[in-house]
Amino acid sequence: MRSGSTTKSTVFGTVLLTAALALPSVEFAYADAVPERSIVSFKYLNYQDNQGLLSQSGSNTNGLNTTSGASSAVTPGTSGSTSSGSQDRIGVNAYSVMALVPVAGEWSVGTTYTSDSVSGASPTYHSSGLAKMTDLRRAIDVELTRYFSRGSVSVGTSYSKEIDYISRGFNIQGSMSTEDKNTTFTLGGSFNNDSINPVIQPSVDEKKQVASGLIGVTRVLTPQDIVQLNVSYSKGTGYYSDPYKLYDNRPRHRNSVTALARWNHHFDDNGTDGTVHLSYRYYSDSFGIRAHTLDAEYVQPLYKGWTVIPLLRLYAQNEADFYVSVGAAENADPTQPTPPPSDAVYYSEDQRLSGFGAVTLGVKVSKQINKDWLVDVKYEHYEQREQWSLSGDGDPGLTPFKARSIQVGVSRAF
Amino acid sequence: MNSRMDSFHFRFEALGSGCEVVIGSGSKKNAQSIAGCAIEEVSRIECKYSRYRTDSLVSRINAAAGHDWVECDEETLSLFQYADTLYESSGGLFDITAGVLRHAWDFGNAVVPGQDVLSRQCSLINWQSVERQGNSVRLPVAGMEFDFGGFGKEYAADRAAALVYRKGVRNGYVNLAGDIRVLGPKLDETPWLIGIQDPRHKSRTIASIPLFTGALATSGDYERYFEVDGHRYCHIIHPRSGYPVTYWRSVTVVAPLAITAGSCSTIAMLKEADGLAFLEDSGMGYLAVDHLGEMYCRNTSSGF
Repeated sequence: MRSGSTTKSTVFGTVLLTAALALPSVEFAYADAVPERSIVSFKYLNYQDNQGLLSQSGSNTNGLNTTSGASSAVTPGTSGSTSSGSQDRIGVNAYSVMALVPVAGEWSVGTTYTSDSVSGASPTYHSSGLAKMTDLRRAIDVELTRYFSRGSVSVGTSYSKEIDYISRGFNIQGSMSTEDKNTTFTLGGSFNNDSINPVIQPSVDEKKQVASGLIGVTRVLTPQDIVQLNVSYSKGTGYYSDPYKLYDNRPRHRNSVTALARWNHHFDDNGTDGTVHLSYRYYSDSFGIRAHTLDAEYVQPLYKGWTVIPLLRLYAQNEADFYVSVGAAENADPTQPTPPPSDAVYYSEDQRLSGFGAVTLGVKVSKQINKDWLVDVKYEHYEQREQWSLSGDGDPGLTPFKARSIQVGVSRAF
Repeated sequence: MNSRMDSFHFRFEALGSGCEVVIGSGSKKNAQSIAGCAIEEVSRIECKYSRYRTDSLVSRINAAAGHDWVECDEETLSLFQYADTLYESSGGLFDITAGVLRHAWDFGNAVVPGQDVLSRQCSLINWQSVERQGNSVRLPVAGMEFDFGGFGKEYAADRAAALVYRKGVRNGYVNLAGDIRVLGPKLDETPWLIGIQDPRHKSRTIASIPLFTGALATSGDYERYFEVDGHRYCHIIHPRSGYPVTYWRSVTVVAPLAITAGSCSTIAMLKEADGLAFLEDSGMGYLAVDHLGEMYCRNTSSGF
């Protein structure tokens, strides 16, 4: 039943593993790797597979090759490992391979909203982090997680320091799934305490404290649909002004509400194999800003190596209550800054606090010419205008902004 | 499950990247002390084998290339022995003297080196010419270099995990910049769900796998690279051609040990189109994404 190459594989995997096991105290006993855990993992996996079918970015599912014959892979020493000269060694070590087989479930392909940890490539050489070695102990962030049968609670603390900014944080998050694991509820809270000492203004010695809470639900509706709804509230007190700006004095309180809804749908049944990602975000704060963001992206793999991804983003906000519009003098001569009204308590000329709207429209087309060549073209048009602000009129003194970008990429594999 | 037990996550910087140790323990103090030992072990290995530290053992051996023998301890000798197996198993592709190519490829300034430069550097790559006698080792030609970067991080993950295990910890894992060694499942006996980074979108994952024990490592073309005329030059460089490999965007391998997982994923990257056959032959579980974004995977053996 075992093919020649599988026999070779047993030998090959064993050789590499044997060499690794000869390293000083790398291995440790796997006595607790009991079989019933594998059974648990398969049960668990069915759910994962379902989730894996959706929330795809198009090209991912193609070519997915779930090899059913996997169980013949690292097969223990009973079989004929005869293709090598060192039979005995292989035999003995094939046994240790069996004892060491990692107890893992199956791959579930597709983006997920949750995972405990992430594996990614990192350069096999490194220089940046070495200086931090001496600070190792102090750089530790600690997070404590307690797991329950269908959920978990995490508590964490953090600390970061820059030359003019120190931030200390505390956060707590809990999640709970329904029995079928198709619905997950999330509840979270965080508190941040920041110290601000801008380099250019040594007299400023300020603090900012922000507390926020989040409640969310993620639901797998069908194997093709996953939806998520998150609402968060944030309450802040302290220094919000920009010390690097001329006329800038903002309120010392900022409370905000954000609601985010996302929907990923994979078109499986109509044969298009496309995926649509939709999201809508609403933001409102006590500075008087309201903002809406709508994002839509559609990934369509086509015949003969073509993929088309149209995307659209709509954004609109109104101005903050204390935003100071560009005055007549500044309009005529941009070097003349506009002073705030004499009776104004709070004022800012930060354009990000003005009323405006923006549209981003883009499309990316890629074509796999042959095995070696890939060509892609991405076109994006971005336009920002004060007339598109939520109130219908923003700051007429600000000029509309347009940007167009075309990116052409040709890549060749060899 | 002991209800008094909690999982403690410790995040730290080492090996130029973000790392974490997760420990299931009855007390924070105990977990903290064990995590401290694990982090110190990682730091010890980095100090000893990093070629970016002039005071490391590897830098001393490299500085003596073409001249003196350097005496090595048991640990180093066993790593050389492992490097020898890697060389043989990969048909000479995984060569720890290939690090000299990094001098030719300037990732900071995105310059493609000339053929003459690459040929010169490639002529310095030759594991088989390395002289070993008793406890001593010698690089025969001045300019030759050892680079343990190809498996040092994975070795550190295994060592740190073994240390934590010996302290009695049975639930948790060690994650050194994406190379993960699992000690045992979560406290409720469910597996750790490990996501695999999307090689083209840093904040997304493309797949996930539940892991009770064992290890997982990823190699890819996306952490350190530059592009010229639409061509991507990544940091994994073929020791014969002197050019970066192009076939795989990312290769993840599930194996009993992190060092085995890491070695298999790197060899697969280096083998380019033949990498898939290699992965099948290795007997390990894997998930690979080729240069077109197509995915290939196989689950780990579970037939026992």
